[in-house]
Amino acid sequence: MSLGPVSRNDETAAFFDGTARGELLLRTCPSGHWSEPEAACCTTCGVTDLSWSASKGTGRVVSWSAVHGRPRDDGSADRRVIAVVELDEGPWWWTALQDVEQPSEGLRVQVAFTVPAEDSETVPYFVPA
Amino acid sequence: MTPGHASPGRRPVIAGLGLTDVGKFFGRSAAQLAAEAARLAVADAGLELAEVDGLLVSAGVTRGVNLSLHRDLGLTDLALLSEMQAFGATAGAMVAHASMAITSGTAKAVLCVFGDDPLKEGRSASAAYGPRRTPSGWRGLLTSAGISGANPLYALAARRHMQRFGTTTEQLGHIAVAQRKWAAMNPAAQMKDPITLADHEASRWVAEPFRLLDCCLVSNGGAAVLVTSAERAEDLRQPAVPVLGWGQSHPGHLQRHHDDFGLVTGAVRSGRAAMGMAGITVQDVDVVELYDCYTYTVLVSLEDYGFCGKGEGGAFAASGALGPGGTLRLNTGGGQLSGFYLWGMTPLHEAVLQARGQAGERQSPEHEVVLVSGNGGVLDHHATLVLGGAA
Repeated sequence: MSLGPVSRNDETAAFFDGTARGELLLRTCPSGHWSEPEAACCTTCGVTDLSWSASKGTGRVVSWSAVHGRPRDDGSADRRVIAVVELDEGPWWWTALQDVEQPSEGLRVQVAFTVPAEDSETVPYFVPA
Repeated sequence: MTPGHASPGRRPVIAGLGLTDVGKFFGRSAAQLAAEAARLAVADAGLELAEVDGLLVSAGVTRGVNLSLHRDLGLTDLALLSEMQAFGATAGAMVAHASMAITSGTAKAVLCVFGDDPLKEGRSASAAYGPRRTPSGWRGLLTSAGISGANPLYALAARRHMQRFGTTTEQLGHIAVAQRKWAAMNPAAQMKDPITLADHEASRWVAEPFRLLDCCLVSNGGAAVLVTSAERAEDLRQPAVPVLGWGQSHPGHLQRHHDDFGLVTGAVRSGRAAMGMAGITVQDVDVVELYDCYTYTVLVSLEDYGFCGKGEGGAFAASGALGPGGTLRLNTGGGQLSGFYLWGMTPLHEAVLQARGQAGERQSPEHEVVLVSGNGGVLDHHATLVLGGAA
């Protein structure tokens, strides 16, 4: 199941500039702590002067689910695997997980990128490493 | 037990309870349902609307109720008026806020009101809690990945509990089955037909590990309670239900690295605060009304309030402890899974009925201490109330 389209706003402009370059950007503070991209202040020390830094894009599965669409008339339904990934830098990332049907906790994964639709930003997802 | 430093006459009590039709019906807006529930609560108490001097308003997923409710009720010269929003924790937070207003003398009679109308004619129930706009920004990024609404986020929490503690889907099924048995005795419940563990296992996947019967209902309706002082309630129509304790917890790890995610929730802190204020322990609790957006939420809350050990919720649920005739009277109206889903008003409504001794054939013989939980966001906001048996 493919990913859906997404558009940028002021908060996500820099992040999507990153994904267009093939980078998963996180926030870093002057002390070197990593925070998730949505963070408005450092999740470790609280400072607000955050920079964008590229993640290595690798991590491990913390938890996963498979989201099922409503069944169609023929009984079939879409099934999309999602996961919480702990990036090796520390932050967690809620994401689509592809190329694996039944992941397990701790599975090593890496980021990949796709442009789901013509008018969409580039979105990250994860696959087994 | 007198909470805080309130003078005896200012002990807060719930003196009125209002519930509209609940479930799948159309033609009344969230605001109309809220107004109707408010009027029902005032009438139930035997009070005049003109005596109400405080109004706390809470909207559901349609955001259809706001401060203008005071105009719809014809309330003037209020001493307290506010909208409150902590999602599923709002009902408990409103009663706590109203109780503080009573003990401090800020107001004398405070209505806490909720109304929601997610079900629309010709639209599926799941659409009510699905994405509403073209996906954009951070939220849009989640939607793009297939993560929209609460189902996948709670599923990720539940999976973590299963991974860590060996909790099974069958154990979750025991909770669904037990609550359906209670619902059969609740005239207001939407789902009364008995279900079995096999029915639970056969129900369609929503977001693994959740099947349809792990998920709460979607309901239209309104509910309200009236909070006043014990002194004022003396000559009112209903037995007054003392608000003995309250607590909240907002862990603050909204979708970020949080090692306790899915394993331990803010109910630990919220429950400790509420029970501490009431001067009780979990062993004193006669009836428990837990926020049950999912079977898993019940399970993890049972652990966090201390009704069983951490990680033992699954075994506890499967032990026969739950349901009519069990050792723990839990979600005695069927809860949100089988009764109706009016956010935190569902457990609160049943708690007040039980505390009054008015729950009909499902009434608990002991009802001196009733614990009520609220849970909002994805285990992000918690509110706990301890109610006493009605005098």
